[in-house]
Amino acid sequence: MISLLQSEWYKVRKSNIIYILFAAPLVGLLIGIVGGSSVFPVEVNQWAGALLMMNLTYALLFLPLVTGVLAATVCRYEHQAGGWKQLLALPVTRGKVFMSKYLLLIMLVLVVQVLYLGSIFVVGIVHGFTDSFPMEIVWKSILGGWVATFPLVALQLWMSILFKSFAASFSVNVIFTLPTILAINSEKFGPYYPWAQPVFMMNVGGDTSEFFFIPWEQLITVVGGSFLLFFIGGFLYFQRKSV
Amino acid sequence: MIGKLIRTDFMKIRRKGIWFLTVLGPFGVVALQMVNYGLRKDWFIQQDIYSWFYYIRNVIAFTPFALILGIVILTSFMASIENETNAWKQVIALPVTKWGVYLSKYTTLAILLVVSTCLLTLFSLGFGMFLGLDGGIPYLDLIKYCFYTFFASLPVLGLQLWVALVSKNQGIPITLGIFGVILSYMAYFLPDWLIWKWPSLDNQWDEPIINVCLGLAVGLAIYLVGMIDFMRRDVK
Amino acid sequence: MEYIVETNKLTKRFGKEYAVEAVDLRIPKGEIYGFLGPNGAGKTTTIRMLLGLMEPTLGNIKVFGKDLKRERIGILKKVGSLVENPSYYPHLTAYENLETIRKIYGVPKKRIADVLEIVRLSEVTNKKVKGFSLGMKQRLGIASSLLNKPELLILDEPTNGLDPSGIIEIRNLIKRLSKEEGMTILISSHLLSEIDQIADHVGVISKGKMIFQDTIDVMRRQSQKKISLKVNDYERANRILISNGMKADFSIDSITLPEHHDEDIANIVRVLVENNISVYRIEEEKRSLESTFLQMTAEERGL
Ligand SMILES: Nc1ncnc2c1ncn2[C@@H]1O[C@H](COP(=O)(O)OP(=O)(O)OP(=O)(O)O)[C@@H](O)[C@H]1O
Ligand SMILES: [Mg+2]
Repeated sequence: MISLLQSEWYKVRKSNIIYILFAAPLVGLLIGIVGGSSVFPVEVNQWAGALLMMNLTYALLFLPLVTGVLAATVCRYEHQAGGWKQLLALPVTRGKVFMSKYLLLIMLVLVVQVLYLGSIFVVGIVHGFTDSFPMEIVWKSILGGWVATFPLVALQLWMSILFKSFAASFSVNVIFTLPTILAINSEKFGPYYPWAQPVFMMNVGGDTSEFFFIPWEQLITVVGGSFLLFFIGGFLYFQRKSV
Repeated sequence: MIGKLIRTDFMKIRRKGIWFLTVLGPFGVVALQMVNYGLRKDWFIQQDIYSWFYYIRNVIAFTPFALILGIVILTSFMASIENETNAWKQVIALPVTKWGVYLSKYTTLAILLVVSTCLLTLFSLGFGMFLGLDGGIPYLDLIKYCFYTFFASLPVLGLQLWVALVSKNQGIPITLGIFGVILSYMAYFLPDWLIWKWPSLDNQWDEPIINVCLGLAVGLAIYLVGMIDFMRRDVK
Repeated sequence: MEYIVETNKLTKRFGKEYAVEAVDLRIPKGEIYGFLGPNGAGKTTTIRMLLGLMEPTLGNIKVFGKDLKRERIGILKKVGSLVENPSYYPHLTAYENLETIRKIYGVPKKRIADVLEIVRLSEVTNKKVKGFSLGMKQRLGIASSLLNKPELLILDEPTNGLDPSGIIEIRNLIKRLSKEEGMTILISSHLLSEIDQIADHVGVISKGKMIFQDTIDVMRRQSQKKISLKVNDYERANRILISNGMKADFSIDSITLPEHHDEDIANIVRVLVENNISVYRIEEEKRSLESTFLQMTAEERGL
């Protein structure tokens, strides 16, 4: 399992994944610096104000979309000239292959989150923030955003195994991501929509009494439930996929 | 020759779900308004903005990034037809010019996007009529704004097609596309010279036609640069 | 002789490495030209340049006597090609795949059925290529190269992935096309045995350089017969032959004579016998074409 994970990482390292990972802090800088930070009254912590703005765009569009690109990249080698055949002809079970690809993706998303955190600091320096850094809520939102992508990553891995072309799995991603723009404005629908969860879990203006800005029940039912659905779906599909 | 190439390009996109996406895009934009007006109809009436004028604004607010996402997806699909199958060597070994091949891809995409734009106009008109909005139906404005957005996004089309055709790894054009989408989402904050701002039809002079002209001129320039770069590359 | 393909100092460099170096290819009209070389010799690179897929670093190419750079389109109208593994669109059927190409050539639709018949794929005309076997895809590739009834057919390892009967079929097809349609055919391979039965001309390329180019008969002659002698005293035999002005290769346990007329051999033997050398054996060593080819390319590699 570990060796499988290492081999996955090795393959991926040789593709242009680094550029994709570094898109995250770039986007962070872009929205943090271009987006302006003076929209909030002075009594709000400067960091929190900037984060509120940055996290919205980041979690709404970038994070869900980039998971799809990462997932497709992780399956890219296998889709080229009989790669699935070659991989599955090795002494490995399909379940382990699926697991190791999933774990690798989760780790890559964590890297994306941490790089984004770095960009938050830089934004603060650029704007010359003097308020104290709200470490706790920042960590909460970084980790929360990460956890919220678990189901999204599972679905995107499924789609990336299913479709050979990046464009196809990306379209599925887009079709689910765009409605989030409306979902987050809807009290009724929003909390149940898996693609809206990164926005809620990174919303530093949310309910700070909760561990992750959203109620535990919502985390377990919506994030957990959709994770199980997508993960098992993808897992079973991969078991049956003829290569 | 271009006619023949375009016809073969349309053959090659069969069964790839490309037509489906071409219809889904404009439908999605209008569907967002269906949800919007379905949930907030009373609020619109209360605010006295239940009119065609505001309706068209609402539609046009979402169109830029639907269009940019559409461009990203379609260009990548178009490139993957030959990239994934290593078919460039077969295509270029036919008695066709490389610029012809490039122009044909571009034209095919432009035709698909024009179809999308026409559908967007029709769907918006249909739903607007269904809503029974206040005031007369501004047919001309509707058509104008839908197509203005399309023309203003031509530079993005040129850029995405170029990057998609020369990238072996389609993750690159798609990541670039994600940047584009985010930029167009923040169009309000962007300086006027960024191509991703143009589809929003917003500029400091409040003259959408400027974006259209820029779109056409810069679109042509980016198209030429991409084509020349494509022509001078060896086919693997 | 009229050459259909003529290159001059054709060269292609990737970075510092020369994939093709100063190659003067000459393909005579109406002949089958076998283009031979081991893996990585530069066959495919040369072919890509002949089709205008790659720009040569140096040198020029003439096809049908016209400059490729200037009249590429006109030339390609009369060329059919299959480069490396065949290209195809998996989501389209065999018929649709050919239709995408037919539209460009503008040949009649009937031609699609004809070429599918030629490569024996008529039965799967309407099947998606996704489900084709390797050999079927290869046949489809050959079919598409024949669509425009080319005057010059360029096939890069066309029998890749074909079963033995398929290989024979393609071989017969190539012979037939050459004889009946008068096509000029370039066929590349790394196996001499694959083309020695059909090719009229051969070019051997190794490490990017053309090391042999002539008719297959000349190659056959080169590879033929050496006479080896076994005698009782090699040293003395050696001296005797040298003093009589006769050429031979010596080693501790054999004397090898390059090709000679029967009369010469008789002379050599007579001289040896007259000088009291016991001649035990006179053997004719027949080297196969294959081993000649192997030796040619091995020498080049410095083995
Ligand atoms: N696109 C490229 N970039 C860099 N080097 C290349 C490229 N294409 C070919 N080469 C190099 O050029 C040399 C010749 O390759 P080529 O494909 O022409 O060989 P070949 O004779 O067709 O071999 P094979 O029998 O294996 O098909 C090789 O050393 C290869 O590494
Ligand atoms: Mg080759």
